[in-house]
Amino acid sequence: MMLLAPAPAQSQTSPGAEQRGPITFATGNDASGVLRRAIDKWNRQRPDEQVTMLELSTSADEQRVALAQNFQAASSRYDVLNADVAWTAEFAARNWLEPLDQKRFAGPAILPAAARSGIFDGTLFGAPYATSAGMMFYRSDLIKSPPKTWDELTYLCQTVGKQTGIGCYAGQFAQYEGLTVNIAEAVASAGGSFIGDDDKQVTIDSPQARAGLRFLVEGFQRGWIPRAAITYKEEDGRRAFQQGRLLFLRNWPYVYALAATAGPDSVIAGKFDVAPIPGENAAGRSIVGGKNLMLSRFSAHKTSALDWMEFMQSEDAQVEMQAPVLVKMYDDPGLQRRLPFMPVLKEIMLHAAIRPATPNYHAVTLVIQKNTYAALQGRKSVDQAVVDMAAELKQAISSRY
Amino acid sequence: VAWAWCLLAPAAAVLCVIVAAPTLGAIYASLFDDPIGTTPRFIGLGNYREALAGGDFWAALRISGLFTLVSVPLEVVVGLGLAMLMHRAGAGRALVRATVLTPWTIPSATVAVLWAWMLQPPGIVNHLLGIEVLWTGEEWAAKCAIVMIDVWKTSPFVALLILAGLETIPDELYEAAHMDGAGSWQSFVYVTLPMLRPALLIAVLFRTLDALRLYDLPAILTGGANDTATLSVLVARAVTSDLRAGYGSALSTLTFAILFVVALAVIRILMPRRTVLGG
Repeated sequence: MMLLAPAPAQSQTSPGAEQRGPITFATGNDASGVLRRAIDKWNRQRPDEQVTMLELSTSADEQRVALAQNFQAASSRYDVLNADVAWTAEFAARNWLEPLDQKRFAGPAILPAAARSGIFDGTLFGAPYATSAGMMFYRSDLIKSPPKTWDELTYLCQTVGKQTGIGCYAGQFAQYEGLTVNIAEAVASAGGSFIGDDDKQVTIDSPQARAGLRFLVEGFQRGWIPRAAITYKEEDGRRAFQQGRLLFLRNWPYVYALAATAGPDSVIAGKFDVAPIPGENAAGRSIVGGKNLMLSRFSAHKTSALDWMEFMQSEDAQVEMQAPVLVKMYDDPGLQRRLPFMPVLKEIMLHAAIRPATPNYHAVTLVIQKNTYAALQGRKSVDQAVVDMAAELKQAISSRY
Repeated sequence: VAWAWCLLAPAAAVLCVIVAAPTLGAIYASLFDDPIGTTPRFIGLGNYREALAGGDFWAALRISGLFTLVSVPLEVVVGLGLAMLMHRAGAGRALVRATVLTPWTIPSATVAVLWAWMLQPPGIVNHLLGIEVLWTGEEWAAKCAIVMIDVWKTSPFVALLILAGLETIPDELYEAAHMDGAGSWQSFVYVTLPMLRPALLIAVLFRTLDALRLYDLPAILTGGANDTATLSVLVARAVTSDLRAGYGSALSTLTFAILFVVALAVIRILMPRRTVLGG
């Protein structure tokens, strides 16, 4: 038997060399216990390659800073990260991530939109394991069939909304990341985009993008989006919907279980359903949220880490997720019983779009938030907001500081 | 003299480590750029040029200045009133003091979260006032909310400093003023206020510096939206969201320089001059 010398603190070894051993998984808060359960399954099978979950701050910004500091120190402390899909491009461009094999981690078994969210510059850096996308919650006791288009939605607001006297439509419109997602969905639902697929061309100055932004601006002007919605983040809208103050709410799948629990917190349990968000001429396109698994370039146990990431995409682990990435899980009867929105979410996911993939994502999202928020408040015309955004986005994606 | 230096040395060393080192470190860091994917390069004053040429810094300076100019005078007036109340209160003195000081004892992040809750559109503030103001969704409302909460929270601090000043004014002065025929308003203007000058100096100095550095309230209430991004919000955004340590250090060095100048000015203007006191 050969004695193992303590591994030197190195980051790069020759490709193909086996790097096995325990790994540390850095993640945000695992409130639902989903990750814990999936990790426990793995740990029971692999005593020598235990995964230790390290919970970082609940705030996304602070998670990102903790990860960045760790990378800047070239530390091998974190092997795998649970990182927001929007950070992929930046982390990859900063040379902090190990490229992943597309055949292994983003093959045809994975939802295409989720797979796309892990790609930067043609290379896969994020392995999807759980996804998320905007969906429309609606009051099925008041609305017979959910609206597919914006015209159908506004018609229902003018009829059912007026009769019942409750607010009609809301999403996330406070000035923060949620606004970027809501605007991106409206723009994508009219056939527009912010930045082209090459991630280098600004495409926001288009009639489609104007139509998308105008849909929400008119909502505020005409009052079918309640005034208060300009302050809404996810939880504010969820509370309003669960208190029976909204007909339609754009939100993430997590709302379903909470709204379905009857009690003082939800007076609409059993009186709501979900549908894809509406679009300009047909069903709209949601934006992919959620997180991907990324492998640190500085990890000392990359082989084990890759095996574990693959396990997280297996049926064994996928069955724990609220919104799995394995296409076939959506047709699983057991999962459908537990999460009745599965068929709708599958339809949404198959048409979903992603946010701009650029290393300067943070500058990009701030530009989008600032200009569209002013438009929603009526301080800027739709046209002016789009023109300003185009100019500022050009600057934001070209700067390498 | 050598012995005096020896005695000063430990304190000086501690100050160097905890004050001078980080300050100089930030100034040093501010001279480097923040490239994505390569190592930082020395760029001299490039970050300062970027800050001074862009609109964000000036907007933040204007907002921090506005908050300071509005909230500090309000806090001094309210604090003076509260101090007089605490000073005069006979029976129930302890209760009055405890009540007045409570807001100041709550951590400011907690204060911000509490008020954010009360200021929601369907929240208790709108309900009690019978209005529908979007406290975190409109420019003027958001600014008013931040000033209001800041005054609510820190007036007790000003009151405490002034109260300490009030307790040191000898009764003989008031008796003498009374003998000279001064009414209570004249006693207040010609005896109380001049005697409070040192306490007021400290209060205004502390509050001005704190107000210029205001961070928690806008960060939690609005996230800097609706024209409430103060200097500190800008620094935090540069460092944490944009991961630009160099640019963030330049912004914080600029903030430091502004605070330094303002502090000197406040001391200059309010410093008690003994010759004036007698008059």
